[in-house]
Formats: sequence, C-alpha cells, structure tokens
Amino acid sequence: MRFILLDRIIELEPGKRIVASKTLPAEEELFRDHFPGFPVVPGVLLTEMMAQAAGRCLDAEGGHPGRAMLGKINGASFREWVKPDQDILLHATITHNRQSFATAECFAEVEGKNVCSAGLFFVFVPHERFTAGHQDELLLAYWKRHPERQPKPR
Amino acid sequence: MTQIEAVAWIAQVFEMAPDQLTPDTHRDNVPAWDSLGVLTLMAGLDSDFGIVLTDEDIQRVKTVGDILDVMRRHGTLAQTSS
Repeated sequence: MRFILLDRIIELEPGKRIVASKTLPAEEELFRDHFPGFPVVPGVLLTEMMAQAAGRCLDAEGGHPGRAMLGKINGASFREWVKPDQDILLHATITHNRQSFATAECFAEVEGKNVCSAGLFFVFVPHERFTAGHQDELLLAYWKRHPERQPKPR
Repeated sequence: MTQIEAVAWIAQVFEMAPDQLTPDTHRDNVPAWDSLGVLTLMAGLDSDFGIVLTDEDIQRVKTVGDILDVMRRHGTLAQTSS
C-alpha cells in the first residue's frame, strides 16, 4: 500500500496555504475492518491527509533546511463520518513558518461541510536523510500543470 | 505576567503540573524537554509572546530560570521575582 494519501494538489501558495483532494475507493481493504457493515474513513487517515497537504505546502517553498515532518497534533476534532468514494478536500493554512518549525491549521471538507480539523506542528528533517534527488510526485504534477507558479530556485 | 503565571505557562508547554517546576529545574529533569519540546517552546514563545529565538539562543536555555530570563529580557515577565 502506498502511503501518499492525496490524489491531487488543487491550489497552492508555497509556505502559506494549500488545497488538495483525496478519494478513498470503497474497495480499499481497510474498510472491511473500519467498520464491518459501516465503512468510514478512519480519523487518523484524515489527519494524515491534512498533514501531507500541509507538509507539501511547506516543502514547496524550498526555504527550509529539511523536509517537513509531522511532530505534534495539537488537537483534532472529527465531526462527520466520511464514507468511501466521497471526495475529500484537504485545506491547510500555515500559521507559523520558521526555519526550525512550522504550524498549520487544517480542515477536511466533504460536500461543503467541515468534517474534521486539526492543529498540526511540523519539524524539518535534513534532506540528506532521504533518497538523493527524490522529488514529490504530487508537487511535480502540480508544477507541470502550473509551471508559471513554481518558485524560482534560491 | 507574574513569575507564577510564567512558570504555569512553561509547565503547560512541557505537559507538567506547575508545582513540578521551579526556576532551578534543569531540562534533564523534564521528560518532555527533548528536541520536540525545544521546538514546541520556541513555537509557544513566538505565538504567545512574539518572542523569536534562534536555534543558538534556545540551546543556551538549560533551566526553567533561563526561560524566565528570556521572558524578562523581552518584557513578557516583570523584572521583580513575584
């Protein structure tokens, strides 16, 4: 199972805000257990989706000494069930953006409703810990659609 | 802000009860004062008091008293000890 829990970046202001989308198809195995006869997207996966969106927003800026990693969840609320095959919009607004850490306020939206929200805290792990030359496929796809929006190399 | 209030704020950052901390408390005796705790402290000082510290600044902070000194230097905490 891949652990990229986003399908597409829809809007992006590097280092500031992002909107991304994800749909978990009904045939995903996890729905057999969560829950039998009542398949819903786990809250922890919704939180991870929001974190992946916010992390990419930070990484897209290119100004940090490493890659954004979730360090802390400052509070998460789950208000509505999210069913398989529903289109989920993940919104993240970066509220603090420093060299050593960043924070984001995030929420997930389904059919116009706020279904969950979380305050997230990010740390930055040095780039050399990761595969050399690796580039995020979602960001690459976004820049390919919007080459004029890609930040210039510093 | 009084020192009592500042210590309570620090305790909340490090997920401890206020009466477990004194100005002499060393970071080695605070379980949550690890690398993530340092960044959480920096973020809290920034968002709650507008105090922005560099990584070098924060590495010199080793006790609760050092944090209180930072807050005094930035005008968040009264200079008197109460």
